Amino acid sequence: MFGKLMIGATALLLLAAQVCAETIEDKVAVCAGCHGADGKPVDKTIPTIWGQQAGYLYIQLRDFKRGDRKSEIMQPIATQFERDDMLAIAEYFSQKPWPDLGQPRAPKDVAAKAITASASVGCPACHLDRFQGDGTVPRLAGMGRDYLAKTIADFRTRARGNNPGMSDLMLATSPDDLAALVEYLAGL
Amino acid sequence: MHVKGLAAFAAAVGVGLLSGAAIAQEVKQEKQSVLGNANVPPVTQEQLNAADKNAKDFLLTNGNYAQTRFYPGKQISRDNVRNLHVAWIFQTDVKESLETSPIVVDGVMYVTTSFSHVYALDAKTGQQLWHYAHKMGPITVYCCGPNNRGVQVLGDRVYLATLDSKLMALNAKTGEAVWTTNIADPELGYSETMAPTVVKDKVLIGTNGGEYGIRGFVRAYDAKTGKQLWNFNTIPENSVGVWATKDATGRDMHRNIQAEKDMLAKIGDPYAKLGGGVWQNPSVDLATNRIYLVVGNPSPDLDGSNRPGDNLYTNSMVSLDLDTGKYVCHFQYIAHDVWDLDAVSPTVLVDVKDKGGKTIPGVIHAGKTGHIYVHDRKDCSLIRFSEAMVPQENMWVLPTKEGARMLPGANGGVEWSPIATDPGQALAYAINLHQPMTYHVETSAYPNGKLWLGGAFKVIPGEKQSGNITAVNYNTGKIAWQVNTPEPMIGGILATAGGLVFTGEGNGKFAAYNSSNGKELWSFRAGAGVNAPPSSYMVGGKQYVVVGAGGNTQLDYKRGNNIIAFTLD
Ligand code: HEC
Ligand code: HEC
Repeated sequence: MFGKLMIGATALLLLAAQVCAETIEDKVAVCAGCHGADGKPVDKTIPTIWGQQAGYLYIQLRDFKRGDRKSEIMQPIATQFERDDMLAIAEYFSQKPWPDLGQPRAPKDVAAKAITASASVGCPACHLDRFQGDGTVPRLAGMGRDYLAKTIADFRTRARGNNPGMSDLMLATSPDDLAALVEYLAGL
Repeated sequence: MHVKGLAAFAAAVGVGLLSGAAIAQEVKQEKQSVLGNANVPPVTQEQLNAADKNAKDFLLTNGNYAQTRFYPGKQISRDNVRNLHVAWIFQTDVKESLETSPIVVDGVMYVTTSFSHVYALDAKTGQQLWHYAHKMGPITVYCCGPNNRGVQVLGDRVYLATLDSKLMALNAKTGEAVWTTNIADPELGYSETMAPTVVKDKVLIGTNGGEYGIRGFVRAYDAKTGKQLWNFNTIPENSVGVWATKDATGRDMHRNIQAEKDMLAKIGDPYAKLGGGVWQNPSVDLATNRIYLVVGNPSPDLDGSNRPGDNLYTNSMVSLDLDTGKYVCHFQYIAHDVWDLDAVSPTVLVDVKDKGGKTIPGVIHAGKTGHIYVHDRKDCSLIRFSEAMVPQENMWVLPTKEGARMLPGANGGVEWSPIATDPGQALAYAINLHQPMTYHVETSAYPNGKLWLGGAFKVIPGEKQSGNITAVNYNTGKIAWQVNTPEPMIGGILATAGGLVFTGEGNGKFAAYNSSNGKELWSFRAGAGVNAPPSSYMVGGKQYVVVGAGGNTQLDYKRGNNIIAFTLD
């Protein structure tokens, strides 16, 4: 909790500096404080945005601003931006290389369980081959394990309510299978 | 996406520093179109009208306006098909799901790939003539892969609909864009994967989006200018219908009509977000100037609680006037669907026997339910339905939170795969899936263009899946023959006057069968899933069969990037 507050405070400080920002570099400077100056998030529950699909990044910023996706941290940040800013920021980060977080590959039995669960729901039908994502569907391969676990749990409780379809799919998948998927995806 | 991955990698390292020419090449090809020169004569409307008798070209997605997928050439026959060999293989730049129906005009072939690329190829050699690499907008929203099913040519234009919901005319000779029209807003769940149907200077196009709470439509655009000529909403403002309690085959669907009526009184007609995508080509009856199309599932797929009524015209065949887009007739297979067992495989116009045995103009559709439905073209009424081509169990059990098992699974039966027909034998050939699934329901409000499933359908791990090729006599509804395959089938099929049918499987097998008895006469292993409809054509006095081998996103069949043409030695 204390950590969260600290991050929140940092965000506000950085935000104050950002109001008069002009260039795209100025606009995104604040993001590095949490999402990492080298693309590696500073905290394990913060998602990787470097190299993420542009459509997906845009939609998340839009949803934070609208309040469709609740986040005390991201909502005030996203509220600053107009649609064109969001599109530009999304494009900017999508062009960065996806960082290697050095997470271990899932052990064979865990991977096998994850692949069975994935085939049952058909995750690759949307997240595509090797979970690379496309357009408004996010890349999952190599995403931070703790963030994956958190956001999947949030989908299940609908605390993350900006995609009821994903919530439905997560609810139809057992917590056991989801744990295996988290390990597997993080290690890809 | 294969190419994009490389592009990101190259961007990271800095393209200038890369010595690997191959990588730079792929990056270049993803970003840039390669204009060229295809020496191809304009296609006239008369040629298109007579496509069913033309063995030289393959002019329409499903062979001809009646969509019979019956190719009239017979150089390749039951007697010699064992001598079929690869003529050439063309590798596209995109290694993802291939669902393209190759179009051939006077020795020039047009194929498309995932992410809406178009290639013009020399149909004799496979040499690339030009490549249109669509610059995709950042926002794409689609359900089952970044697919594209092909183009159509009229005059000197190639018509394409893109994943980011644009309609385009390209120069058939060079690949340059001539005009572009926005069809609908991708941010609200609209996308395009179908090939347009072009007829009488109209470009007919539907839309995807049944998983996103769209309001579906079919439209005609002016082929010369890209201006919209008419729009037909697949969901009328009165979508309630007749409170049908039984499906087309007479089985009870377990609707709670009173609860639906109470909900209707509370929330009104749910037409505005009711789905009803159209993502397969309509057939065109040139004699009566009508088109016949099928409308997909209601949104959200599995939860009917917030969409009282029959949800017209979802899960229906609909006929419209070609010139005005005005409604003529419809037939709904499943009212108030909560299983996503909707109507997707394209309609086919053939003469059929009516109930009294009289031959009349008919229209047939192969359902995800596993039945082939035979209709009277005049009023859309149902004449008969075939024996089930796949196992059916526990129909129509309602989806539950924990999941209720029912067969067929939500992919069918027959998915989008076009069927073929051989009018001489009165046979329709369909490829099927058998995937045992559980159906799960969840309730949530309309999510502003986001995925809206109303639950989930899950393949049951450990239960055996399979597929089949089935020939059905559409005058009797009886199954004439059936070939079982180890995996569920998706893609398409072609019948030829040579007495053959050609179709492929997810494991890479592509084979020819005797169209009278299903005996396998020839096969080939493509190395990636053959999940696209084959075409056939003649060039230099020789018949070719061509098919895409790119695998399939939805069923996760091995991806590839090959267009493979075969001919006799
Ligand atoms: C104070 C820390 C902080 C700062 C600064 C910050 N973020 Fe975030 N961001 C987060 C956290 C934490 C989440 C995860 C929220 C959740 O779990 O719902 C997040 C989530 C996101 C997401 C969703 C990613 C996904 O995979 O779903 C995007 C996009 C994003 N941030 C973009 C940005 C951009 C752009 C900036 C700069 C303009 C920025 N963030 C600045 C902490 C921060
Ligand atoms: C029908 C399409 C579809 C299927 C199937 C699907 N997803 Fe998703 N998924 C999406 C979309 C779209 C999003 C973006 C959600 C949003 O708009 O916020 C998403 C988001 C996610 C996220 C959030 C990523 C982030 O950065 O916050 C995770 C994790 C995820 N999906 C996991 C899965 C897993 C695991 C499966 C299979 C069990 C699966 N998905 C199946 C479409 C799908």
